[in-house]
Amino acid sequence: MDDILPRLLAFPPHPSPALPLSDQQFDEGIRALVEVVKGISDSKLLQKTASGEHLLDFVNPSLNTASYTFILVANLNKAKQYEKAVDMDALWNNICTFLSGFDPRQIRYLGHELAQIIDTFANIAQRHHRIPLALPRIRDALIRYDPTGTVFTPKHLLLVKLAVEARSYDDVVPVLEKTILYIPGASEQPNPEFICNMTLSPLASITAHSSFVPKHTKSQDILEYFLLSGMAYIGLNNWRRAKECLERAITYPAKENGCSKIMTEAYKKWVLVSLLLDGKSPTLPMVTSGGTAKLYHTLAKPYEIVSQIFEAGTASRLKSEIETGQTIWQQDMNVGLMMAVLAAYQQFQIRNLGKVHSKLSIMDIHNATQSAEVGGKLGQAQFVRTLVQNMIANGSLDASLSYPPDKSPVVTFSENGPAMSEKMTQVALAESTHRIKALALQINNIDRTMTYEKEYLKHVQKVRKNKKNTDQGVVSVDMDWPGEDEDLMASMY
Amino acid sequence: MAGLQSAPSSPIQIFSKRNGSGIVTEPPKFDLESYIQNYKGRTRSNRLIHIGVFSAFLGVDALKLAVREAKAGKDIPRYIDAQTHLETIGPNEPEAVRDNAWIEQTERQNEAETQRLEAELKGYKSNLIKESIRMGNEDLGKHYEAIGDLPHAFEAFGRMRQDNTVEKHSVDVSKHLIEVAVEQKNWIAVTSNILKLKSVMNSGLEDLAPQPYIVASQALAQFDVGNYADAALTFLQCEAGMGQSCATIISPNDVAIYGGLCALATMDRNELQKKVLENSHFRSYLELEPQIRHAISFFINSRYTNCLRVLESYHADYLLDIYLQQHINDLYQMIRSKCIVQYFIPFSSCTLASLNEAFAAPGNAMDKELILMITRGELNARINTVDGLLEARKTNPRDEIQREALRVADEYEKEATTRIFHTQVTMAGLEVKPVKHRSGGFSSTPYTSFDADMSGSGLN
Repeated sequence: MDDILPRLLAFPPHPSPALPLSDQQFDEGIRALVEVVKGISDSKLLQKTASGEHLLDFVNPSLNTASYTFILVANLNKAKQYEKAVDMDALWNNICTFLSGFDPRQIRYLGHELAQIIDTFANIAQRHHRIPLALPRIRDALIRYDPTGTVFTPKHLLLVKLAVEARSYDDVVPVLEKTILYIPGASEQPNPEFICNMTLSPLASITAHSSFVPKHTKSQDILEYFLLSGMAYIGLNNWRRAKECLERAITYPAKENGCSKIMTEAYKKWVLVSLLLDGKSPTLPMVTSGGTAKLYHTLAKPYEIVSQIFEAGTASRLKSEIETGQTIWQQDMNVGLMMAVLAAYQQFQIRNLGKVHSKLSIMDIHNATQSAEVGGKLGQAQFVRTLVQNMIANGSLDASLSYPPDKSPVVTFSENGPAMSEKMTQVALAESTHRIKALALQINNIDRTMTYEKEYLKHVQKVRKNKKNTDQGVVSVDMDWPGEDEDLMASMY
Repeated sequence: MAGLQSAPSSPIQIFSKRNGSGIVTEPPKFDLESYIQNYKGRTRSNRLIHIGVFSAFLGVDALKLAVREAKAGKDIPRYIDAQTHLETIGPNEPEAVRDNAWIEQTERQNEAETQRLEAELKGYKSNLIKESIRMGNEDLGKHYEAIGDLPHAFEAFGRMRQDNTVEKHSVDVSKHLIEVAVEQKNWIAVTSNILKLKSVMNSGLEDLAPQPYIVASQALAQFDVGNYADAALTFLQCEAGMGQSCATIISPNDVAIYGGLCALATMDRNELQKKVLENSHFRSYLELEPQIRHAISFFINSRYTNCLRVLESYHADYLLDIYLQQHINDLYQMIRSKCIVQYFIPFSSCTLASLNEAFAAPGNAMDKELILMITRGELNARINTVDGLLEARKTNPRDEIQREALRVADEYEKEATTRIFHTQVTMAGLEVKPVKHRSGGFSSTPYTSFDADMSGSGLN
């Protein structure tokens, strides 16, 4: 046993040298170590130290991340074969410490193993009903692996799937709030000299080569991630973010008027969430593909009708419309959202009153608004008061309530919505500037790739060639495009 | 709008009450004889019939006059129209009895005349004499116009144009066409012919087509399609000295009323002062209708209640005008809203009671009208129902700009990220595509091949 210990702890050098290792030294060192550790059999890695300690407790996961990873994998393999042979609780704790403590530099060489560990961990959590405990660990691991959070990986999907399954959303927000910009394997990244270079763009370090992600990402995985993120935010009642996430799904590029089921589902939820957020029918973002937009309107007709009635119809019509469509909402699993829409109807009316009135008595509000839940006026003015109180409490209404003696309570609507202090505005502006500057950098990068990208150039070349052919009167039937002959057929009928 | 019914002084209210029958029961302020003297041609009998139908006061007199005039001409449908209306409201009048002998005789004469003119025209055509053809067409057009066949008249006049030899001819054609088109309310034709007239005018033939004629008919076209702001500006360009030159279309009094009301509804105080009251040409028209000048000066001097009162007292008259009837309520509503807004501008808050006093009839409130104005964005204020106040919104431009900046930045960020992501998806060839050769329409299984080149074989 003890003979493998020195080998396991050979890298990185401890205590760390006065001069930090150069990228080259680090690269050579860790590659050598991985080579060595891979050569050690699982059974050896499972042995205990001379002092009777478990290797997992002996090796420090933050320092000797590489060795620890292999030991962990060996343990997990064993547990897979015969669970009783391992102390599951101890193993669980080991994984937890590992996931929130690994060295982000070393782990870049161990993408495949990390993916394996997270999968197994999630599996164990599901079987032992411990998902809520596992979520923060997986979240930490993803953030440690890619602090910018701009690259989509299948583990993102796994995380949000688990969150939705366990209905525990708070813990995953730090991952969800990052904006996905890149898909691994989307563009040929120049092979980095040393992947331990910490200044590399996240996309370069998580390329398909690192084997943390599969060779080809699937588009339905990405779509599903957006849809589920939206649902997670719906669970948190964060309509603004929910709308943004769903919007990512519905604006997903589609060719030839295509539209996937996931996109339609996202669209349905998006319509409702927009109602809850703005109180009116949303307009599709500019970036939506035209043909897809038409499909949405056909496929989600009932939802659009609800949204139109919400905007311009009466409470009783909204109520009956939603009741009539009950089976549709059930099939689409949108009953909860519909309930929220019903409840929101009166709240929007009250908020709109604030645009015209500065002060109103509860009695007046009671007479001027209708509840879609009841399908008419609320039974008593008392209920309106409670509703207004709740709205003020949860911040959806910017107003105050006063109780003049012997009269109906009075609501004073504030003038311009929540006021931002000068300082808050400055901070917000500075943050926004910062983010946009960062974006500008990304855009420059994309620009560069577009200019030098092989695939893209090939495409441009092809387009030019085709054009030239047609110019010369040579009609080239491009069999590569399955869409074209389809169109010819369609025009014949 | 229903809410406004509580305030009878509001024009809408009066209109809705009268609109039940469309009949104006109040006695008009004008004298029928002197009013109708301003007009010639077909518009004269049109106006008579209009007054006959809508005024309970002058109806019988107007229709009697219309019947008499129609009988002097040869327009049978017009006669029957006037006579039928008279029959319903004044059956005892001698003119109310239909003169079938006259109808038959005129019909025969008309037919003979039509045939004669057509035959003559044919003869001219075979002789290929341009001037004769032109005149033949003109005679035919005039005849058709006289017997009330406007579409044919328009055609005949239109045919004149191809045989024009001098510029005076094209002026004639355009004037004929404008007259017919105005009666048909074919404003597009009116506008295009005005453009033709204008080009002639530039070449120094002003005396053939006087400026007021061109401007007034153009303004009328803009006015009747509801483009009040442009109509106001055009009416105001009208030079003095219209006299009877446009009597077949519009009278100088109408220019003053239409122009003044449009200006009042669409211009601000300074514009009204400069472009209307200090306009020496337009002043000569305003002198004909002093109440319009009063209303405008009241508005400029911030005496809104008086301004509205003056207009209100002439409301019945304006409803009897063939063009104003359609527009007067819109115009009055615009003027009224403007008055309310202007009234409120100097205040940060004012009591609803004082507003009611100034604008609503006694005992009535105008809350509903205010709410409507606020929701339409005309009035930048909010109502305090509890203390009975109308409070101006305080604006904080700095705050607004910052908010707007943040919003725009946010939007840009969102769009930029989406677009970056799209380029990535496209580069990876991960777009969603409809799956073909499979029943059930679209499936959630998208294309995953890398490039269209390979995907052709990859999918099938």
